Amino acid sequence: MKKNKYLLLISSLGVSALLLAAAVDENYLRGWRRVQNSVFGANDVRLRQIVVPAMRTTDRCVSCHVGMMPGETPVAKHRLASAHPRVPHDPAQFGCTSCHGGQGRATERADAHGDTEFWPEPMLPRQFASAGCGTCHSHVQVPDLASMQQSQRQLERADCLACHRIDGRGGTQRPGGQGGMEGPDLSKIGAAGWKADWFARHLERQQTDKDGVWKASFRELDPSQRSDIEKYLITRVGAPDLVEAKALFHSLGCRGCHKIRGVGGDDGPDLTRVGMRDVHRLDCSNVPGEHTLPNWLAAHFRWPAKIVAGSKMPVLGLTESQIDRLTLYMLSLRDSQFPEAFWPGDRLRIERLGDREFADNGVTLYRTFCAACHGDRGEGRRYPDNVPFPAIANPDFLAVADDAFLIRSITDGRPGRRMPAWNKNSGGLNDEEIARIVQYLRGLSGTAAPVGQRAEHRWVQADAAAGKRRFAAMCAGCHGANGEGTQAPALHNASLLAAATDSFFVETIRRGRKGTAMPGFSGASTSYPALTQQEIESVVAYIRIWEDKGR
Amino acid sequence: MSDQSRSDSALRKFFTDLTRAPRRIYEAAFRSGAPVTDRTRSGFVFNNVFLHLHPVRTHRWSLRWTTTLGLGMASTAAFLIALVTGVLLMFYYKPYPDVAYNSIKDIHFVVPTGRFIRNIHRWSANLMVLMVMLHMVRAFYTSAYRTPREFNWLVGMGLLVVTLGLSFTGYLLPWDQLAYWAITIGANIAQSPRELTDALGVTSVVDVGGLQRQLLLGSDTVGEEALIRFYLLHVMILPLLIGVLMAVHFWRIRKDGGLTRPADADERLEPRRPDVYPVFTEAPQKTYQLAAIVRGRSSAVGRGPENTVPSMPHLFYAELGVLMVTTLVCLALSLAADAPLKELANPGVPENPAKAPWYFLGLQELVSYSAFMGGVGLPAIAVIGLGLIPFLDREQLGSGAWFGGPGGRWLAFRSAAFGLGLTLAIEVFAIRFGWIREWYPHVPQLVITVINPGTILALGYAAYSLWLVKRYNSARSGAMGLFTCAMCGFVVLTVIGTYFRGPNWGFFWSPADWPTH
Amino acid sequence: MRQTTATPSSRLDPEPVARRDFLGIASLASMLSAMLLAGIGMLRLPKAAVLPSASKKFSVQLPESLPLGSPYVPPGRNVAVFRDAKGVYAMSLVCTHLGCIVKQAPDGFECPCHGSRFAPDGSVSKGPAPKSLPCLRITAAGDKFIVDEEVSVPADTRVQA
Repeated sequence: MKKNKYLLLISSLGVSALLLAAAVDENYLRGWRRVQNSVFGANDVRLRQIVVPAMRTTDRCVSCHVGMMPGETPVAKHRLASAHPRVPHDPAQFGCTSCHGGQGRATERADAHGDTEFWPEPMLPRQFASAGCGTCHSHVQVPDLASMQQSQRQLERADCLACHRIDGRGGTQRPGGQGGMEGPDLSKIGAAGWKADWFARHLERQQTDKDGVWKASFRELDPSQRSDIEKYLITRVGAPDLVEAKALFHSLGCRGCHKIRGVGGDDGPDLTRVGMRDVHRLDCSNVPGEHTLPNWLAAHFRWPAKIVAGSKMPVLGLTESQIDRLTLYMLSLRDSQFPEAFWPGDRLRIERLGDREFADNGVTLYRTFCAACHGDRGEGRRYPDNVPFPAIANPDFLAVADDAFLIRSITDGRPGRRMPAWNKNSGGLNDEEIARIVQYLRGLSGTAAPVGQRAEHRWVQADAAAGKRRFAAMCAGCHGANGEGTQAPALHNASLLAAATDSFFVETIRRGRKGTAMPGFSGASTSYPALTQQEIESVVAYIRIWEDKGR
Repeated sequence: MSDQSRSDSALRKFFTDLTRAPRRIYEAAFRSGAPVTDRTRSGFVFNNVFLHLHPVRTHRWSLRWTTTLGLGMASTAAFLIALVTGVLLMFYYKPYPDVAYNSIKDIHFVVPTGRFIRNIHRWSANLMVLMVMLHMVRAFYTSAYRTPREFNWLVGMGLLVVTLGLSFTGYLLPWDQLAYWAITIGANIAQSPRELTDALGVTSVVDVGGLQRQLLLGSDTVGEEALIRFYLLHVMILPLLIGVLMAVHFWRIRKDGGLTRPADADERLEPRRPDVYPVFTEAPQKTYQLAAIVRGRSSAVGRGPENTVPSMPHLFYAELGVLMVTTLVCLALSLAADAPLKELANPGVPENPAKAPWYFLGLQELVSYSAFMGGVGLPAIAVIGLGLIPFLDREQLGSGAWFGGPGGRWLAFRSAAFGLGLTLAIEVFAIRFGWIREWYPHVPQLVITVINPGTILALGYAAYSLWLVKRYNSARSGAMGLFTCAMCGFVVLTVIGTYFRGPNWGFFWSPADWPTH
Repeated sequence: MRQTTATPSSRLDPEPVARRDFLGIASLASMLSAMLLAGIGMLRLPKAAVLPSASKKFSVQLPESLPLGSPYVPPGRNVAVFRDAKGVYAMSLVCTHLGCIVKQAPDGFECPCHGSRFAPDGSVSKGPAPKSLPCLRITAAGDKFIVDEEVSVPADTRVQA
């Protein structure tokens, strides 16, 4: 019976030893204890946290990053005890994770930074830190990149940077100046807003000012320059790299296929919350480097079909810097759910007041929604393994297509083809925006709407049987035997037939489209004899049969 | 005496009593003196409400390590550890979706000793399930279920079921992906009698499955109602139930005459050590007035010399030893591995594969063929079959010895070989060639419910054990065959479910082969 | 020492006296100490390391139209912020008696629970409250003020915007 006593003795001693080990682990070995011990000394070692009930955050990051605790005296240049860089938001009010991501409740490095399998929202890498703004914000009225750069040049040409500081540039003394030229910093003016009469007040100062600085550095601006400058200023919200990334996104036409907050095409996945995707649920087998969401996104921009099997997204041939910027913008699409009372102004404007994230001028609209398929200047695109996309700025096209046709085509799209419908219920654009896109298209090719065409929808009365023979011989090669459009637009598309007038078809066949494979049939070519008006009309009559069948 | 002196002495007595009060409080609590003689040792046991479930004296056979391997006590110890740590966790746990998950995160990261205590809770719960199962295996192979212990075997079955219930209900509480989807599957298994009623076309009249699921979840999905129900079951109903069943179980051990031991136990024990003081050494000299009112056999009267030692301290050293060893194992596991906590439950994104706790993975393997048979039918048959064992095996040969009865060890070994072989063969066949649905997609569900790997295994085991009954002319041999096969089947299916099943419950040699989508 | 050779043959023999059992005592003692250690660990659990309440430091933006001497209570906080001729100060609205929230009365503040009354400067004028309402530390940060509920300052402290 002695062995029972030994059993008890040894197991009890073992239990004591393990309990002591656990106590040491808990009370001495935790990383945050060591950090605080070295910064504050042993007497002030305790868990620190920022609790913000409204944002539903409990962030214990400040247990290690002790200098960032509100009210704490930071230690300069210490790795963890230095202060948070100056940012627009007070960490005490918003916590840490609402901007940076990561797991606020955790108190250990890997868990807190989200580098664990079971935390879907890891910290944003430092180079993409400004993506955190997207948790709450959605910057309004961001134009495409070229327009933004143009208005930035306008602002620089007007020499605003002589007095004002924007994104760390400008506002310094000019050589030979008399000093004191610091105007207000405009880096966040887009968020704060400005008074409508700023220009009049500047002008008044210029005229009343005595020391000559104003006279020398401020000059008359014409209204278009002023509006250009304002367009630029509205994008200055304190996150220049993110706004630039968004402007790039608005230049590449990605939203032709992807929806964000209900606006965009529906061919690709909705991107509204793409920055919150859990990388552990994505296939990373072909992603080089670490399997993180930024790497996945970047790899996907490089070779879409290699990362997502069967992806219809074309290889866009982006530069590395463009890929970096697009990745930043994707990561910023976070759209967190939190009470509306805490929404920032820009988000309220977009989700409740109908404001737009994109600038609502024609060029931005076109580049945001159309450029990926129809080309930057409407020249059409051919991607490998995709049907070619029509050149919609072709003068021959615009010369025969009236505005009603263009508007209707954009509004209803081409069901069955890749062109989505852009009306309010589908693509999310309103009538005015669609009209602006049409206007921009006209401007792009310098072709006015046709005049003097017969405007009725149907007026052709010709022999459809004869038209059928001609169609089979001359058109079916590109447009398909049944008009299904193998290489050229699908002519049996109900939406096209509903939008196009007979004049459109007749004129198109007659004139053809230069720069595309569509020849003009009014004159003879090497392979076709010239068609008479009557013959052309018979083809149109045949095409119209599809419309009647579709009814 | 004058009034003066009387009040003086009363006052003195008051102060004397006051100074003696601590001593008297002690004496009032502990009536027998220090446990140094056999008499006071006996008093130590039967004067103590916590100890009096124990016998005053314990047979030396019961104290041999190989008799019980301490498995029953280890189960109890694991339960006690889980009970204490569970109560501590209740300080911080909040049974509400999402909040629950955050509270577990807090327990893990900021509650003092919280992570350690949660780990201990989880490991002790797992250990308890394992120990209860092994305890049942021990009781079976030492024939400890036989008369007069049949009822205690049934109580033990109840304890097994409640233990699994406790573990299963605790699984939902962290409200992570693992929990959410395991419980979703569990709730649908509760609904699976519908498979049968649907096949018979009577679901609209009797919907047992739907009722079960509804009672369990309180809603049609796993949500806050389900969480509060599971919480109530986990911290209140099932612990109370298991407490009552444990009390009955322990009490019956004494009433059934202590642990079972072979008839020749006394001869097989090494000679009594001199400090072991015998009772009933000669013709009893006591009067039988109390015993006279007892009808039937009295446990003490007329018994010969017994090879017993006082329970205090010998039995208690053994029990405390097992308690501390169990604690040691729990602590070591808790220091080595954290209890899992996946990401927050997301009803829109199923876990793939969604695996139940390990002890249910054998069932989950069977469920992958027929939800009703695997999840309800076969477990019910197994529990009923186990419960019937002591009523079918009425023999006494070999009681109390390991692998007693005709055939003995060799029979157990052969049955294990048969059970492993049959289970593996059928699993390999089903994994390699698929099952009826793959061959004939339009076959009625009833056919699959009746003919699936689970039922075929059950029938195979049953046929084998009936053959054993005939072959050895002994019910015990049949029971041995059936039990051994069932245990082997459980192990094989559990191992396959745990290590070789991946997304969509497909077969994979290792998790490294799992597709990532 | 008890006898170790002869086995007592009868229950009528004198009961044996146990010898001192060092191994038994050591094992029991080590078990008790392990239990004690575990108990200490468990007792640590209920005392939380961090509290789930909102951070005690918060920033307020005073309405421009706030009249001198009238309180501004930030939403969700039991603090009143005042502006007077000398500057800005913050006062706790938690009664120093038993923690009810005081409300403004014509002559200062009154507590609805046990009738304590406080003068406008926070000092006790009546009732069971043992101390005056504390003034809280407030610091200016740009156009906002940061109030720290955990630090009290002398009653006449003022800060300038």
